[in-house]
Amino acid sequence: MEYIAPNSLLEITKILMRLKGKATLIAGGTNVIPRMRTKAIKSDILIDINRLKNLSFIKEEKNRIRIGGLTTIAALATSKVIQKHAPILFDAANQLGNPLVRNRATIAGNLADASPAADIAVPLLALEAKVVTVRSGKPLKEIPLDQFFLGPNQTVLRKDEIIKEVTFPRPNSKAKMAYVKLGLRNAMAISVVSLAVMLEVQGNHCKKARIGLGAVAPTPIRAYQTEAILIGEKVTTELINICSKKVLDEISPITDIRASAEYRREMTSTLFRRLGQKVTL
Amino acid sequence: MNIETEFRIIGKPIPRHDAYEKAMGLTQYAADFSLPGMLYGKVLRSPHASARIISIDISKAKRLNGVRAVLTAKDVPKNESVTRFGQTHALGGGFEGLYRVLADKKVHFLGEPIALVAAETEGIAEEALEKIKVEYEPLQGVYDSLEAMKSDAPLVEEGRSNIITHFEVIKGNIEEGFAGADVIVENTYRVPHVDHAYLEPESGVAWIDENGIVTLRVSTQVIEHFRGIADVLNLPHNRVRVIAPYVGGGFGGKEDITVESFIALLAYKTKRPIKLTYTREESIFCHSKRHPYVLEYKTGAKKDGKLTALQARLVSDAGAYVYLSPWVLTYSMVTAAGPYRIPHVKVDGYTVLTNNIYTSANRGFGAPQVCFAYESQMDELASRLKMNPLEIRKMNYLEKGEALATGEILEHHVALQETTQKAYQALGEKTKAKGHHKVGQGIASGMMSYGRMIFLHDTSRSYVSMEMDGSVTVRAGVQDIGGGQTSSLAQIAAEILGVSLEDVKVYFGDTALTPLAGTTTATRQLYMSGNATLMAAQEVRKTLLIMAGKIMEMDPERLDLVDREVVDKEGSDKSLPLVDVVRACASDGLPLYNVALYKAPFRNLTQFKRIEGPVFPDFTHGTHAVEVAVDEETGVVKVLKLIACYDVGRAINRLSVEGQLEGGAIYGMGYGLMEKIIIENGVIKTPSFSEYLLPTSLDAPEVQTILLESGDGVGPFGAKGVGEPSLNSIAPAIANAVYDAIGVRIFDLPLTPEKIVRVLKERNQRIGKR
Amino acid sequence: MKKQKTYLLEIILNGEWKKVEVEPQETLLYVLREKFGHTEVKEGCGKGDCGACAILLNGKPVNSCLTLALQADGQTVVTLKGIGTPEKPHPLQESFVKKGAIQCGFCTAGMIVTAKGLLDKNPQPSKDEIQKAISGNLCRCTGYKKIIEAIEEAAQKLQRTMNNKR
Repeated sequence: MEYIAPNSLLEITKILMRLKGKATLIAGGTNVIPRMRTKAIKSDILIDINRLKNLSFIKEEKNRIRIGGLTTIAALATSKVIQKHAPILFDAANQLGNPLVRNRATIAGNLADASPAADIAVPLLALEAKVVTVRSGKPLKEIPLDQFFLGPNQTVLRKDEIIKEVTFPRPNSKAKMAYVKLGLRNAMAISVVSLAVMLEVQGNHCKKARIGLGAVAPTPIRAYQTEAILIGEKVTTELINICSKKVLDEISPITDIRASAEYRREMTSTLFRRLGQKVTL
Repeated sequence: MNIETEFRIIGKPIPRHDAYEKAMGLTQYAADFSLPGMLYGKVLRSPHASARIISIDISKAKRLNGVRAVLTAKDVPKNESVTRFGQTHALGGGFEGLYRVLADKKVHFLGEPIALVAAETEGIAEEALEKIKVEYEPLQGVYDSLEAMKSDAPLVEEGRSNIITHFEVIKGNIEEGFAGADVIVENTYRVPHVDHAYLEPESGVAWIDENGIVTLRVSTQVIEHFRGIADVLNLPHNRVRVIAPYVGGGFGGKEDITVESFIALLAYKTKRPIKLTYTREESIFCHSKRHPYVLEYKTGAKKDGKLTALQARLVSDAGAYVYLSPWVLTYSMVTAAGPYRIPHVKVDGYTVLTNNIYTSANRGFGAPQVCFAYESQMDELASRLKMNPLEIRKMNYLEKGEALATGEILEHHVALQETTQKAYQALGEKTKAKGHHKVGQGIASGMMSYGRMIFLHDTSRSYVSMEMDGSVTVRAGVQDIGGGQTSSLAQIAAEILGVSLEDVKVYFGDTALTPLAGTTTATRQLYMSGNATLMAAQEVRKTLLIMAGKIMEMDPERLDLVDREVVDKEGSDKSLPLVDVVRACASDGLPLYNVALYKAPFRNLTQFKRIEGPVFPDFTHGTHAVEVAVDEETGVVKVLKLIACYDVGRAINRLSVEGQLEGGAIYGMGYGLMEKIIIENGVIKTPSFSEYLLPTSLDAPEVQTILLESGDGVGPFGAKGVGEPSLNSIAPAIANAVYDAIGVRIFDLPLTPEKIVRVLKERNQRIGKR
Repeated sequence: MKKQKTYLLEIILNGEWKKVEVEPQETLLYVLREKFGHTEVKEGCGKGDCGACAILLNGKPVNSCLTLALQADGQTVVTLKGIGTPEKPHPLQESFVKKGAIQCGFCTAGMIVTAKGLLDKNPQPSKDEIQKAISGNLCRCTGYKKIIEAIEEAAQKLQRTMNNKR
């Protein structure tokens, strides 16, 4: 096995282009190493991108928040900027895995792993995040997160493409948001259902609605149809209840060892109703 | 019992003597030990739950560079034996089981060991496993204990019935009992496979020492397996030595042979030291689990709450091999009716082979399973009779001097009345429910034995000696699995001999060098080895005091040993340094040591079908009281309060006893709320700690412990054992609290959020239909 | 057999520069135990589910089983033995002993490491903060109560020592 620890993004992208998929990228290692353990990953070349110093940052700009790809989940979980502007991301970061894992897991790693339950993806979808990727000799590409996931553990990332940073528009100060994760215990739990809701209400009417869902479809998803119902409407308890049923049309949960599809459906509805009420009060 | 005597060390919350080393990271557990030239072992395991082995080709594996041995069943000198599982004499009946080291013609459970590899590195050993080619013919298997009982079920082991044994408990006339009942409650309860989940996976190192002795240093609860290992190798028993270092958790999972036979064989074959450590996945797939049970209960009572009849059918899934299944069933049979006065009782118990993972000892050993059933039944009756759960229990609890349904008389204090009262009171006012939550409170009490079944003729030995400088040495074969087993012995010796805890050194767990103390199981070490140490220390003390009396010209009865001095109990300032007495004894050729043998009560059985008469030395009684908040919409249960009130007889080390009760409560809480080995057609679907969920620090409530000390235990200073009793009644307490919160009962563990949502939905639909 | 390619690993381990040849797939856990002899770092599960292998990497508690050894190259690693020694025990070690927070002891090294990481960042944690900080460290024996009490006591002791220094 070969180990390469490049010192720059440029170097990495060049190597990836040369190796064309024969290598495995490792950042925090919290997903890659368990895969190596079960021999799910068999490649002979490891490229460690965890050294890159300038890929770990949280920057608040005038209109957007930028998060470097190698920013750890722990950094997100303790960032005042994230807590202030994106509390749903803050909450999700604080509940992902456990504190030891959070000190190593990266935002890029969580997204690239693309678990259907990827905890960090759910609030980022509600925040309309974009993934900024880099390939050798090519300009930076911006991929909206809701176009990033293809299936369980599958993304649009090419074999020579790396996530450089994640950005999202700085939410309006009037935006109300809430996140909930339902797991089978209070720490180190793979989500049974996770949900993030962001609403912007002006006067009595919903100006903007974004809903992210995890563990209820082959990938983390947005609930566009439910969002459409909310936009332009007066947000009442009745409307929230209607939406909590409508959202079920947009999910396709499975039955696995953690929960049945039916329970996931019921919980999606219940949790949506709770979050909906929370953000409209 | 007189508890007023002030002890210097007994009863105090002093730090355990092994805690310091562990805090410093100095303790060497099994996998931390290495020898020069050591090889690494790996086990090839069956991917099928039920299959015939057509052929095994090890040639490629053997040729791999760095491989030093590849063994299959034919290389094992004695691959199969009928094991009596720790009995010292033949009991016959269903108490024996086949122990097979490596699968030969068939595999009977997924994960069954088929071949062993020893190689220069772990990596090479793993590679060698992949090169072993086994041809299988999958066979039909049976994966449900009720199915396995049927006459047309596939046989798990050729030539014998799947039903290992059938036991009965009969008291009075069951028809009469139900005829006299005003209310009858009938329910079927189910409890799943669970894992011990000790943090330290199974591990051991074996080597041949300079005298040709096969030596093992292994994480085990039973060094007495040296006999079984010697039999496997066809060696005399005195040519095999087993050493048990501190064990990183046992809970019954390291009670049976785990890695021992494998490392002994590989060391014997290669003549080199060898280490084998299970991965966590291997541990989950391949070591014993707690018996799942189907518990069919029918309980009858008069309208004032007095129990009239209890009938139960218990069926446990023994998995592919017998191991301790009949023992576990015996414990269930004895406690199946609970600690209650019931004139008519009929219990039928079965333990059945299936092609699932084999089941054996797990903390509680058959008692927690029936406790879930009988304590749920008590609350069901209370509900039907509109009685307070506390009241219905208090009127039916057995008292000292009364008999269990098996006829065994409870000869020592039964603290159920006061533990229940105190635990219930400590619950206090119900916390106010908020939002979607409903709050409920529940209690459950349990009784569980400590000390082994008396027809096993249990004994323990301990050696205590005083050195020339007044320091004390204890040698005992005790295996220390974290419950302070060795520390208690040090405390007892220190108390009796008037030295400090730091002055006592305990050498433990070595079949060559320490007198055998028996298994660290059945909550027996404090009782048995504590008593043996007490006896030995008292003999040494006697010798010292008689000599001191001679020197000081005083009656030895007036003298005491305190802080390394002989002092006058009556307060005069006559005293003598202990070392002086020691020297005088040595000079006179008097023994400054003693090896004591403590014998538990013995009984001989003539038949095994009907469980009756005395079975255990004594029982520990206690009650759990729980308050939960249940989110009615998501089913999530949060434990708000958890109280454990137990009569511990005497707390030898207060911190240790509290630790057992606190730890046991959380171990049992996991059983009640989140732990389940999901197994389908013999395949375990929860292979790691990501899927098999243990309570984390954010799940565990703060456990409040209330210790009562009746002084009426049979252990040293009147102590009772608490290791296993401490988790007995926690799951039913939680189930009863959940019932109190939401008004619907769940009859199978664990009480997952989804199950709660489902029963609430069903209940609402029923109400809706009316 | 193909000879595996090795790389030189240099780390500051418990305050001292150490170097050794390692293979790329070898985890920090494996190298600490097998090559540096730090067997106080335990393997409980090998995949980050139990915390028994916790060490401080640049001051932060991480699972050493989820870190490749080479990923720690040039960095600071602290194990239990770097936190306190018999000559100079750390208050956490003393309070774990005193409070009865150690039964089988297998989770202890990882637990104390995580607690040290917490107290270094948050010298006066609330009980909730302690519970959260150790939520990645499983214990099967104690039920966590005495562990939390021990961390609370150590925090108070360290505060008193700090205050006395002023």
